[in-house]
Amino acid sequence: MQSAIEAIAAPRRRDILRLVHATELTAGAIAANFGDVSRPAISQHLRVLREAGLLRERRDGTRRIYSADPGGLDGLREFLERFWDERLETLKTEAEQEERSRRHARGNRN
Amino acid sequence: MPEATGTDAIVREVQIEASPETVFSFFTEPDKITRWLAESATVDPRPGGINHQTHPGGAESQSGPYYMRGEFVEVTPPSRVVFTWGFENEDIAVKPGESTVEVTLEPSNGGTLLRLVHRDLPASEIASHTEGWTELLARLADLVSELERGKSTD
Repeated sequence: MQSAIEAIAAPRRRDILRLVHATELTAGAIAANFGDVSRPAISQHLRVLREAGLLRERRDGTRRIYSADPGGLDGLREFLERFWDERLETLKTEAEQEERSRRHARGNRN
Repeated sequence: MPEATGTDAIVREVQIEASPETVFSFFTEPDKITRWLAESATVDPRPGGINHQTHPGGAESQSGPYYMRGEFVEVTPPSRVVFTWGFENEDIAVKPGESTVEVTLEPSNGGTLLRLVHRDLPASEIASHTEGWTELLARLADLVSELERGKSTD
């Protein structure tokens, strides 16, 4: 998970994932979308994404073809589970505090 | 219980030492919603009424705030509240109306057992919309890097 987080921290790598989320592209075709980025830099981005489990690579002769790896997507579910865990923990604290102050207020009135 | 549609729902249960009435108010009153879930909230807690929340964005992705544009589906104090959950932001693939959060509150041991079910997330969404999960992961990345900055300044 850590490497996936680092991998997608770079906007360029998120752009690459968007390109290949529904299709397969060669490294050259991916690079063609980024005229301002050198080919070695693109290769480096592809390597980081692959090592993070977010990108699949297959070989066709000498060509390498890339597509987004659904296996890397488990991260979102973890993210959402953690989101609700953290929020509900806060809710518990706040609701219990609210309950105590309500009881206190009632106690003062009686 | 109805079957989760398409994808596994996220299910969470938590025991809270407060009455169902108190807990319920944290889903329907803006000044309580902002104590645990959102930065600001505008709500009309009745079926068809709005449930609009603003959530803070991540520091490094320079994205956010995130505008949650939900609608109440069911409001039954103090036992059940259901609302849709989705975002107006173009970079979040969960659009308004696309997912649903169901909250059930049951008296339990002098307090409340809260059960939250978040349906229609995230597998179907993930499979077709890369933007959504990469954006969410980016926000998580921001959190992690904030934590790491905190550590390094010790």
